[in-house]
Amino acid sequence: MTAPTVRRAGPPATEPRQSWWSRHQRSLAPYVFISPFYLLYVLFLLVPILVGVYLSCTEWAGLGTPRWVGLRNYRDLLTDNSFWTSVGNTAFYVAFTLAVVVPAALFIAQALNSRGLRGRDVFRLAYFMPVVISPIVITLVFGLFFDNEFGLINGTLQALFGFGGIDWLGDPAWARITVVILVLWRWTGYLTIFFLAGLQNVPRELHEAAAIDGAGPIRRFFDVTLPSLRPVTAFVAVTVLVSTAQIFDEPFLLTQGGPGESTLSVAMFIYRAGFQRQQLGYAAAAGVLLFLVVFALGYLTNRITGVGRESR
Amino acid sequence: MTTVTTPAPVRPARAGRRRPAGGRVLLYAFLVTLLVAFALPLLWALSASFKARGDIFSYPPQPLPLPGTLENYRGLLDGQPFWSWFVISTVVATLSTVIAMGLCSLAGFAFAKYQFRGRNVLFNIMFSSLAVPFAVIVVPLFIMVAKAQLTTPYFALVVPWVAPAFGIFMMRQYTEQAVPDAVLDAARVDGCTEFGLFRRVVLPLLRPALGALGVWSFLNSYNSLIWPLIVISEPGDYTLPLGIQALFGATGRSYDLVLAASVLAAVPSLLVFFLLRKQLLEGLTAGAVKS
Repeated sequence: MTAPTVRRAGPPATEPRQSWWSRHQRSLAPYVFISPFYLLYVLFLLVPILVGVYLSCTEWAGLGTPRWVGLRNYRDLLTDNSFWTSVGNTAFYVAFTLAVVVPAALFIAQALNSRGLRGRDVFRLAYFMPVVISPIVITLVFGLFFDNEFGLINGTLQALFGFGGIDWLGDPAWARITVVILVLWRWTGYLTIFFLAGLQNVPRELHEAAAIDGAGPIRRFFDVTLPSLRPVTAFVAVTVLVSTAQIFDEPFLLTQGGPGESTLSVAMFIYRAGFQRQQLGYAAAAGVLLFLVVFALGYLTNRITGVGRESR
Repeated sequence: MTTVTTPAPVRPARAGRRRPAGGRVLLYAFLVTLLVAFALPLLWALSASFKARGDIFSYPPQPLPLPGTLENYRGLLDGQPFWSWFVISTVVATLSTVIAMGLCSLAGFAFAKYQFRGRNVLFNIMFSSLAVPFAVIVVPLFIMVAKAQLTTPYFALVVPWVAPAFGIFMMRQYTEQAVPDAVLDAARVDGCTEFGLFRRVVLPLLRPALGALGVWSFLNSYNSLIWPLIVISEPGDYTLPLGIQALFGATGRSYDLVLAASVLAAVPSLLVFFLLRKQLLEGLTAGAVKS
């Protein structure tokens, strides 16, 4: 062992004796910094998931001990029409959010990012407002607007076009539409904020360079803006996917899943099974299935957007 | 000639790049239409909350509550435990937000600026928890909390939710962009401890992101419905959404009281949003380090 005298470029050790912590803090600090998260993660996520997997193989109404039934809950779920209805509805909500709400948010963000726009703050504030307000308030107002008899929407349609008999909340197909209108109205402004933050982070020089090279606004959008927005877009897509897959508030408050089960979402199905019908094992099994699907989809979306970024 | 003239920054002339007027008009028309679409239902609710019960549904709709009445508000505040709901909601949301801001930025900083063994694995575990639907843990979590008799709002609505993976991810992204390594190293040379680094160097640079996270966290907690609906059973522990839901679900659908409660309930969230608006909308201050 030769003494490492060559490399002494670092700051001279002023303190002859440093405490153990100050010598090791740089390598240990990150673990300390993330430990609160992992403590909560284990207690309130990992343990519940494991308990949920166990419960999903039992029959339990909340009292006494759960009775082991193996995979029966899963078999029952796969032949349960209500469950499949809720899956179909949820898939519709997710598809709508990804195909309409996310692009709309990007479009609005792009408009808000226009140079020299006056009143940008006012617009941004107003667009963000719906998500600030409690969903129960929003759905109440929407319920009144879309009311079949007294609603403003039908009244306005009647006044403008002479027809207005749409049963927004009572007809299965229209009820689904009304729910996604509510989703669009509530979440677009929220997602806009993320895109806007991303857009403002795109260096102006990039745009200017592209403009000097003769790229028009549309070319610049696809060649400069979209690639720079990849991380934001990927993130928005994943979070939107995951949160819409468990949509609860909008259909629950607006239509209670009705008429019939035409707006029932998977999260509502689980809520109904677990907390209204006391089928805790059955609800847990539905939760596990939802988990598997969402996890796979989230992973896939992340992969796809991640891969796309590299192939650029 | 020895004077070195610095080259004047070459910039395309502003005036020459101004958009055609027609595009501007369209842009503003579009933005204003959206503004109306987003604001109208809320303004309608505000206006209706001052109308007498019978006038709320009158058609054609009256834009202004004339004659206005405070009867709805009086009925709400006198007849319902509104202030109790209000205090519980606000305290719960504030607590969650403050803790979440601290924990998320701390963990985000660790993931962004440290090389440590297991970093990628730990990050992926954290990140993939984003894809765990609440619905999968809701039944077991409820059973655990209920068995432990921790269904008080100050535990059940706060503690499980104070370190959202979303927030950590967001803070990591911002930290990577906004905190230059050079600044950290300089502070270390000056003898700053690692936590001091976080508190004195990193946190100030993260302000815009913290604002965004704060708004997000507060609203999430303040507006959450399904979990409180499940875990809170005592009417004395109701949060605002639960209280309003109970009012609305009660016989007769008390639209008048519900509207008044809704307007009052919106005040704290709007206040938080307006106060932190600067930080939220400032976005990313990418070039905090040029000096």
